[in-house]
Amino acid sequence: MITDKIKKILLVDDDIDLLEQNKTLVESKGFNVITAESSEEGFEKFKKELPDAAIIDLIMEQMDSGFVLCYKIKKTEHGKKIPVFMLTSATYETGFKFSTTSKEEKEWIKCDGVLNKPVVIEDLIAKLENFVYQ
Amino acid sequence: MNNCKGKILIVDDEKGLRLGTKRLLEDEGYIVSAAENGTEGIQLGTNDEFDVAVIDLKMPDVDGLDVLKAIKQERPNTVCFIATAFASYDTAIQATRIGAFGYIPKPFSPEEFIYQIELGIKQRKLIIDAHRLEQEREKNLLELANEKSRLNAIIKSINEGVIVINTNGELAYFNYSAIKLLGTNNLQIGENVLEFLPKEISDIVKKIFLSDTIMLKSYSTELSLKSENEIFLEAACTPIPNPDGSLAGVVIILSNITEYKKIEIIKNQFVSMVAHELKTPLAAVQGFLNIIKDESINLPPEKQKEYINRSCQRLKSLTDLVNDLLDISRLELKTKHREIVDVDLAEIVNATIQMLELEIAKREIKVERNVMDNLPPIKADVNEITRVITNLLSNAIKYNKPNGMITIDLNFSKNYVILKVKDTGIGLKEEEKNKLFSEFYRAKNEKTRGISGTGLGLSIVKRIVDSYYGIIDVESEYGVGTTFTVKLPINPN
Repeated sequence: MITDKIKKILLVDDDIDLLEQNKTLVESKGFNVITAESSEEGFEKFKKELPDAAIIDLIMEQMDSGFVLCYKIKKTEHGKKIPVFMLTSATYETGFKFSTTSKEEKEWIKCDGVLNKPVVIEDLIAKLENFVYQ
Repeated sequence: MNNCKGKILIVDDEKGLRLGTKRLLEDEGYIVSAAENGTEGIQLGTNDEFDVAVIDLKMPDVDGLDVLKAIKQERPNTVCFIATAFASYDTAIQATRIGAFGYIPKPFSPEEFIYQIELGIKQRKLIIDAHRLEQEREKNLLELANEKSRLNAIIKSINEGVIVINTNGELAYFNYSAIKLLGTNNLQIGENVLEFLPKEISDIVKKIFLSDTIMLKSYSTELSLKSENEIFLEAACTPIPNPDGSLAGVVIILSNITEYKKIEIIKNQFVSMVAHELKTPLAAVQGFLNIIKDESINLPPEKQKEYINRSCQRLKSLTDLVNDLLDISRLELKTKHREIVDVDLAEIVNATIQMLELEIAKREIKVERNVMDNLPPIKADVNEITRVITNLLSNAIKYNKPNGMITIDLNFSKNYVILKVKDTGIGLKEEEKNKLFSEFYRAKNEKTRGISGTGLGLSIVKRIVDSYYGIIDVESEYGVGTTFTVKLPINPN
């Protein structure tokens, strides 16, 4: 079971409704959830709680605040060991061309994967398993 | 004297002949002047324009040839005959050289004389016609030259670049704008420019050259040139036909469309933002519904109810957003019908406070009003002014601190009614002030979290105020409060 390996997940999103939904979804699969409504709060909770995974909304107060938080987490010792996913609704139809398909983008954006909104919980679990059993 | 056949001068010292020819010619319908010696002949012949002059060669005072010379010098178009009994080949040549048209040997019969005069009149007509034609030709040439230089001046001075290429691909014409737009100094008449022009243009030109039939329509393309600043050009290439229908060349008109492109980019960004702003509440509602629907999630009834309530709230804000967007669109398109009446701002302020009473009470905010005596009404649309005041007041409530204070001042100057809305709220950071009136901008910081809004309210306020030629201004101190000042002209016209 993936919940044996990953117990505690940090969710960071400034939309409190989406945060609530994702919390309910992730909890329904047996994970513990810590939530944060801003990147600052997210980083504080990350350092304090040392979660086993983190899912961060890409666009919060500022365009790049999700990236910045991800970058800060990945710079810590603990952050290097856990999967960090970016959550985004930035698709082609909204005009923000964002993907992590190229090598350069993957290197620059330190996250381990991108999740599209709304979160499909099976997709999240598959990505977590992929990371853990690699 | 339309029926007059012509004006004739007779210069002859022999009285009988002089009077005889005079009478003869007058009978034929000519007007005749007669001079009895050379001196008088010169005087008459130079002072007045005669069609024909008949000059006796031998006169006691002045020689006939000298009279001829004098008349020809002043009146080159007068047809002159030399009449003499002492005809000699030499004098004939000499007279012709000086400018005589003919030679009338004496004695002559009346028929012969009339015949010669008629010849002279014909010659005179030819000379006059030739002279007129010459003058007309010169005038036309002058006009033509003017027309050409005028066209040249027009083409040279227009903003559009003009380039003409012949079928060999050689440059036949270009104007200054073409050089400016293409950012080059290397255009040379007669040089092959196909490889030199941007590929987008030369491709079209080549296609026109290769096509079998000439279609008299333009082929356009857009291209961007990167120099110091990126500029966008539209190039319209049109075939030029010869009179026989074959291809003579291609004219290329270059237009700078950079400004249009910039507007297009802004429009696209706006559409992206709108799409994003619409998608966010929809995603939230969809998320809640998905969870409620999902049977694998054991959701307690009170949570279900909470999620439905939160969904309803998101849908309400989505409706607000759509309404705001429609308002902006109406303001932009100016399709909204305005009913201009006398509007009392104090009245609208009171009504708005009443409307927002619940929110004011909920946050325990104190509202103070100071209205100057004799506040004049302004000429405006009530709904639009209500919209301005509602947006400003609801912001003052939303962004105020609990137990805060709102001060509304209404006063007036010579031309404006001035509304001030002051709150004791969270205030604005310096960098936030500039972006305040742009679409979808919402001050986002640790203090604004949880405050809902479409991000379009102040943008609408500014559009309305601008449309009345009013002024909106903001003063703010972060953490202390914000004051909006709106000046609306008492009579915008």
